[in-house]
Amino acid sequence: MKNNRIGLILVGSMLAVIALVVTLLLQRQQTEHAEQVRAQGLGMVRSLAALPVPVLVPGKGVPGVLDSILAYRDNPDFAYAAVSLDNGRNLAEVVSAGTIVPPSAPLALTGFAERAIPSSQNGRAIREFHGPLASADEKMQVRIGYFEPRTPFNMKDLPFYALIALAMFLLVPLIYVVIKREMAPLAALGEQLRTAAAGQTVPAMVPDADADVRGLAHKLNRYLDQASARIRELEQESVASMASGRLLEYGSNKMQAVLQCLPDGLLVLDPAGEVTFATGKIEPLLGVPVTEVLSQPVEAWCRDPELRAMLARFRSAGLDARSQMTIEFNPARVPDKRLWATAQALTGHAMAYGTLVVLRDATREHLARQAGNDFVAHVAHELKSPLNVIGMYGEMLADDDVDAAVRVEAINVIQDEVERMTSLVNNLLNVSKLEMGSMRPERHRVKLDDLLRDAWQQARSRAESRGIRLDLQVARDLAAVSVDKDLLRIALNNLLNNAIKYNQAGGSVVLAAEEGDADVVIAVRDSGIGMTPEDREHVTEKFFRVRESGSEQRGGHGLGLYLTNQIVELHHGRLTIDSELGHGSVFSIHLKKMPALVEGGQVL
Amino acid sequence: MNKRTILLVDDEPHVIRVLRLMLEREGYEVASANDGAEALEKMHARRPDVMVSDIQMAGMDGRELCRTARERYPDERFPIFVMTSMTASSEREWVRDLPDVDFLEKPLSPRQLIVRLATHFANAATQQENTHAA
Repeated sequence: MKNNRIGLILVGSMLAVIALVVTLLLQRQQTEHAEQVRAQGLGMVRSLAALPVPVLVPGKGVPGVLDSILAYRDNPDFAYAAVSLDNGRNLAEVVSAGTIVPPSAPLALTGFAERAIPSSQNGRAIREFHGPLASADEKMQVRIGYFEPRTPFNMKDLPFYALIALAMFLLVPLIYVVIKREMAPLAALGEQLRTAAAGQTVPAMVPDADADVRGLAHKLNRYLDQASARIRELEQESVASMASGRLLEYGSNKMQAVLQCLPDGLLVLDPAGEVTFATGKIEPLLGVPVTEVLSQPVEAWCRDPELRAMLARFRSAGLDARSQMTIEFNPARVPDKRLWATAQALTGHAMAYGTLVVLRDATREHLARQAGNDFVAHVAHELKSPLNVIGMYGEMLADDDVDAAVRVEAINVIQDEVERMTSLVNNLLNVSKLEMGSMRPERHRVKLDDLLRDAWQQARSRAESRGIRLDLQVARDLAAVSVDKDLLRIALNNLLNNAIKYNQAGGSVVLAAEEGDADVVIAVRDSGIGMTPEDREHVTEKFFRVRESGSEQRGGHGLGLYLTNQIVELHHGRLTIDSELGHGSVFSIHLKKMPALVEGGQVL
Repeated sequence: MNKRTILLVDDEPHVIRVLRLMLEREGYEVASANDGAEALEKMHARRPDVMVSDIQMAGMDGRELCRTARERYPDERFPIFVMTSMTASSEREWVRDLPDVDFLEKPLSPRQLIVRLATHFANAATQQENTHAA
């Protein structure tokens, strides 16, 4: 543990400091002692050196000054005092017990001096002070020796040291405990932080500690609160921005999908004329895949001069930014298509940033328009032809000198042409109703024999006037069918008219009805001119007319069989044609039989 | 003097019938054809003095008939009257490089045709006299 290591380091450094202090103390004590000894020794040597020799070296049996001054000095450090000659002989000496006076050393020129005598085998180290005797003739010197302090440790200081050591000893754990106690809230704080870091939540910390730590903890708590609030804020922001990013992406994807689903092709060009966006629909419209268009200038992919001219106009700055322009053209690569291209300048913040081009397939509209024009032209022609004939015969009749036979012929032709025009106009109205979807068959349960007899009656006079026999062969008790009477009548009339029209004098037409397993078949059989298999394929197409080779004009207008077929299909039936050129045709309407009795069915 | 021959071309038999009746009464000899091909056959057998033709016909139509006739007989420029209901000038462009082709408005008045023919033959007679005199 870190705290423990800090504690140990503290204890160790504390001990080191104590040791250092003690050492310094001892050293100082020692130095003081040495100074004291030196002062005493030198002082003593000087004062002794001033004394006359006889006083210092008395005769035998007479106690010398040396003895009296020094013998009773209570100094445990005192080793010896001696008066010696230079040759080493001691004239007088006072020695502490157990000590031998070492031999004297020659005096130095300076006179008073000291010297250290290392400890010999039987004695302690000695510091000697010496000086010349002033009154002596011969070279004599006074020497006083003191023991060097044996050991710096003084036993009498032991209690003191012990006291200090004890205090230290007691202090160290105290300090350690105090530190430990002081560290405890911090450690708790650390532990809390650690768990807080592991878990995501940051707990509020109110540690049981003193003011400083509490302050720290408070600050830390406040900081953590702020930090966690900020983190929450950031998290919320990030969630929000992620959500808005997703929304944007979703919106963009949706928009792209919508644009791609549009039936129109879209192109966006930047101001330089390069394509920055294109939907897949341009491929079927222009015949160029999107990949060949993107990031390409118009000239690189567009082969349509009209489109290029329009885009060039939009690129040049001259054009008013708000303007829109539409052209219609046949794309060069897909020539059977007709396109509308609308260009719109894209502007914002008073600058143009490109052009939007919408390509629309107008083939159908174009064809419809064309078909409409063709239809009008065709109908006009069909109406003009009988009018032309009527006018001519009319003009001829106005002449006075017309043969009676020609007059009859003229009247007949005029009647025929009027009939032809009436039939054309009726059929036109019916076709128009049919194509507008407003022709809804009102189906009722119908007994076919009455209906067929009616139609037969009506057509008979016309047939007879052309020398054609019209027969009716309807089986008895024919099953009822569900049809719109009026519509079926139109279909029948058209078939009968054709059978009479495309016939020759002496020919015959049979209107027959038979019952099959599931259906009722109405057949119009004629002995007329018939048609080729090729014509038979197309005969129910709108405005199709069989090319007539004979000199006689039949006056068809190409709507009768078309209408008949449509009416039969409205009844969920089918029209079959059997024909041989020169031998006549059979047109059959197959209608589903009605169940024997249908509830609510009405028999008319 | 030989009778003047008029070739009538129309796929509408009634038109031919009326015009034949009226023109024959005026003393013209009338030949008729149902379509362009038949007209060319008749033309080959005998060149008419005037041809009167419809435009809209199945098979070879009036325009093609006129062009073929002019190509086939470049030296015999008998006048051609084309009957049309198309009044727009753009519909009449095609005759620009065909000499002696003129239009008759539909619905056609037979009497008007008779007047046009009479005027044409009168003019032709004066021209011939002038060339003779010169």
